[in-house]
Amino acid sequence: MQKTTKLEDLIGFGHTKLGFFGEVQKKVQELQASNRELEQKRQEIQAILDGITDVIVVVTPDYRIQSVNQLFHSVFNVNTAENLLCHKVLRGRNHPCPECPMQKALETNSLNRGLSIIPLNGKNSHFEITASPLRDKNGHPESVLLLMRDVTMEKEYEAKYLYTEKMATIGLLAAGVAHEINNPLAAISGFAEGIKRRMPALDKCLGSSQSCRILADDFHEYIDTILTECNRCREIVKNLLTFSPRKQPEFLAIDINDLIEDIVKLLHHKLKHLPPGTVKLDLDRSIPYVRGISAELKQVILNLILNALDAIKSKGAISIHTRFEKDRWIIISVQDTGCGIPEKNIQHLFEPFFTTKPVGQGIGVGLSTCYNIIHQHDGEINVISQEGKGSTFEVKLPHSCD
Amino acid sequence: MMNIYKISVPEIFFGRGSLKYAGITARRLGAEKILFVSDSGLEKTGWLDLIFEILERENLKWIKFTTVVPNPRDLDIEEGARLYRQEGCDVVMSLGGGSPMDTAKGIALLTSNGGCIRDYEGANRIQSPLPPMIFLPSTAGGGSDISQFAIITDAKRNIKMSIISRTLVPNISIVDPILLMTNSEGLIITSAIDALAHAIESYVSLLASPLTEVRSLKAIDLILKHLPLALKYRQLDDLENLAIASTSAAIAFSNASLGMEHAIAHSLGGMLDVVHGLIHPILLAPVMRYNLPVCVNKIAKFGEIILGKRLQTDESTAHAGIEKLEKFCASLNVTTRLRDIVSDRETLPLVCQMAMYDSCLLTNPRPATWEQMLQICEEVW
Repeated sequence: MQKTTKLEDLIGFGHTKLGFFGEVQKKVQELQASNRELEQKRQEIQAILDGITDVIVVVTPDYRIQSVNQLFHSVFNVNTAENLLCHKVLRGRNHPCPECPMQKALETNSLNRGLSIIPLNGKNSHFEITASPLRDKNGHPESVLLLMRDVTMEKEYEAKYLYTEKMATIGLLAAGVAHEINNPLAAISGFAEGIKRRMPALDKCLGSSQSCRILADDFHEYIDTILTECNRCREIVKNLLTFSPRKQPEFLAIDINDLIEDIVKLLHHKLKHLPPGTVKLDLDRSIPYVRGISAELKQVILNLILNALDAIKSKGAISIHTRFEKDRWIIISVQDTGCGIPEKNIQHLFEPFFTTKPVGQGIGVGLSTCYNIIHQHDGEINVISQEGKGSTFEVKLPHSCD
Repeated sequence: MMNIYKISVPEIFFGRGSLKYAGITARRLGAEKILFVSDSGLEKTGWLDLIFEILERENLKWIKFTTVVPNPRDLDIEEGARLYRQEGCDVVMSLGGGSPMDTAKGIALLTSNGGCIRDYEGANRIQSPLPPMIFLPSTAGGGSDISQFAIITDAKRNIKMSIISRTLVPNISIVDPILLMTNSEGLIITSAIDALAHAIESYVSLLASPLTEVRSLKAIDLILKHLPLALKYRQLDDLENLAIASTSAAIAFSNASLGMEHAIAHSLGGMLDVVHGLIHPILLAPVMRYNLPVCVNKIAKFGEIILGKRLQTDESTAHAGIEKLEKFCASLNVTTRLRDIVSDRETLPLVCQMAMYDSCLLTNPRPATWEQMLQICEEVW
C-alpha cells in the first residue's frame, strides 16, 4: 500500500465520480488546439498557393469549381468562383469547352497539357493549362487540378520574332534579286542610251519617205519607253536594296516635329484640294530628338501620310501625333478615318510586293521599305486597323541619347 | 464525528421486468459495442440470451467475456481489458454477482486509466473517467452494482485488494428480481447473508450517517423476514424484498464502509480463495460481540429488530440479538465453524496480520490488533 487510507479518504469529500463533462471539455480543448494548428497549416498552404503566379483551380468531374487561389479572382475578375461551372466563369459558355484538357486528364487519369485562348478584358489571352487528376485513396480521379499560366506575352513575342525572321529572309531574297537585276538593267539602260544618242545619225541614214519617218518615230518612242521603264526598275531596285544589311550609317539628331511639318508643307499642292482641317497635327513639343537619317525617316512619314490620304479618299480626317513614352520611345502615329485594312491583309502588310491597289497604281514596296527603314533605326512599326473605321500606324523610335 | 454527509449512488432501475431498460440505457450512454461480462454459470441459465435480445432491439453490438471466476484476479481483468480495446467497445455491461461485476469494474478501470490494478489499490487513486458501466445484479447480496468498491485479488501477493473510488460507482444499476428465480438455495443464502453482513457492519461503522443507518436497518429487517420465506416458497415477492434489502445494504455500506469482519473475510478470501458468503455466518456474531462495548445501543437496536422487541436494557437486548443471529444462521444449514472452510489452522495468524492492512478495519467501531482478531478466529475454529 502506497499510503495509509484514512476515514476521510473513504468518504472522499474531495472526490466525485469522474464524469464525461471534464473529459468532453478536455477533448474540446484538444480539438480546439488541433483545429488552430490545422487552420495555421491551411493558411500556410494557402499562402504558398497564393504566392504561385499561375492561376490554380480545382474542378470536379462535373465542371464545378471546388477551390481557387487568390490570383484567380484578379485574373478573371470574379469575387466568388466556388461551386460555379468553370466554363461559365472562364468563358461564359453554357457547355464544357471542346478543347478542355481536363477531360483528357480524367479519361487517362494522367497529366495533360493544353493551350487555350480565353478572351479577357476584350483581348485574347493565351493560357497554357496543365490538368493533373487528384486521386482518391483507390487511385481514381476525384477532381482535377488546373494550373493556368498566362503566356500571352510569350506568344506575342514569338509571333513578332517569327515575323522578323520572315522579313529578314524576304529582305535577303529581295536584295539578292535586286543586285542580280541591277547589272543587266545597267546594260539595258546603257545600250538604250547609246541607241538614243545614235538616233540623229540613224535619222539621216533613213530617207524622208513616209515609211522611213514612221519607222524613225517608232524607234524614238520605243527607246523612250525602254528608258522610262529602266528608270522605274532602278527605283524599285533602289527600294529593294534597303532590305540588304548595310553598315551603320552616320545617324544625326533629328527633330521629328520639324520633319513632319516640312512634309506637310511639301504636300501643300495635294492638300489644298481637300476640305480645311483634313490633316490635323498634334505634336508634343517637349519630345527629345531621335537619331537617324533624315531622308529615310522623311520617306517613311511621307509614305504613311500618302497611304492615309488614299484611305480617306477625300473625305475623313487624318491626325498625326507625336509623344514620348516610358522615357524611351518617341511615338509617331498617323491615324486616319478611312476604309481600314481587312484582317486577313494585316499580317502581310509589310511584306514586299504585297499590294491591294489595282495593277499599275503601286507595286507594294512602300510599307516594306518603311518597315526596313524603321528597323534599321532600331524602332518598330505597328498597325491597328478596323475595316470601315480607319487605321492607325504607329512608329516607335528610340530617342537620341544626348 | 462529522455533520456533513456524502452519499454516492448510481441511477437505479428497480422492479420486475426492469431488465428491458438494459438496451435503451446503453444506447443513451453512447454504446455501439458493449463488452458483456458474466460467468459461465449464468450463461447456462439463458438470461444472457434474453439480454442480448434486448440489446439487439436497440441495434447494439456486444462481445462476451464470460471466463470470470469467483474471487477475480488482476490477470483475468487484464485479459478482459485487452478484449475491450481489441474489439473497440465503448460500454461495459455486467450480469452477475460480485465476481463478474468487480471484473467489469476492473476492466473499465484499466481501459481508461491504463497500468495495472495494483496501481489503484486504496482510496481515490483513479484519475480519468471510466467508460459507462451498466450492471445487472443476478444475486441479492454483493451490492457491487451500487458500491464504490471493487475487490480484486492480486495473483502475485495472494491478497484481496480493495479499490475505493466514486468513479467505480456504475452509471446504471438495473435490479430485476426476476433474475433471482434461477438462484440456487445455496446462492440465495450466501447472498442474503452477505447483504446482512453489509447491513450490520455499515450500521455500526464509524462512517455510518443518518443517510446510511436507515438503509442498514431496513435491510436487516427485510432479510430476517424474507430470507426464510424465500427459501421455503420461492415466491417472487420474497425474492423482490431480498433484492430491496440487498440494494439498501449496498447503498449503506458503499458510503459508510464496513468493519473488522470484512477485513478478516477479505484476507481469508485472498489467501485461501474462500467463498465470501460462507465466512459471514461464522464471523459475524463474534465480531459483534467484540464491538459491543463501544456500540451497545446500536447493537441493541439490531437486537430489537431481530427479537421483535426490546429487553430491559440495551445490553441484554444486544446480547440476545447476537444469540438470535447465531440461531438464525444455524437454521440456514450453513457452517458456523471456521475449520469447515479453512484447511490449515496455522495460516490464521498470517490471515489476521494481513487483515490489518484492509481498509475495512478503519471504520470498525472498536480498534483491534491482529492478535485480537486471531483470538476471535480461534474462538470460532
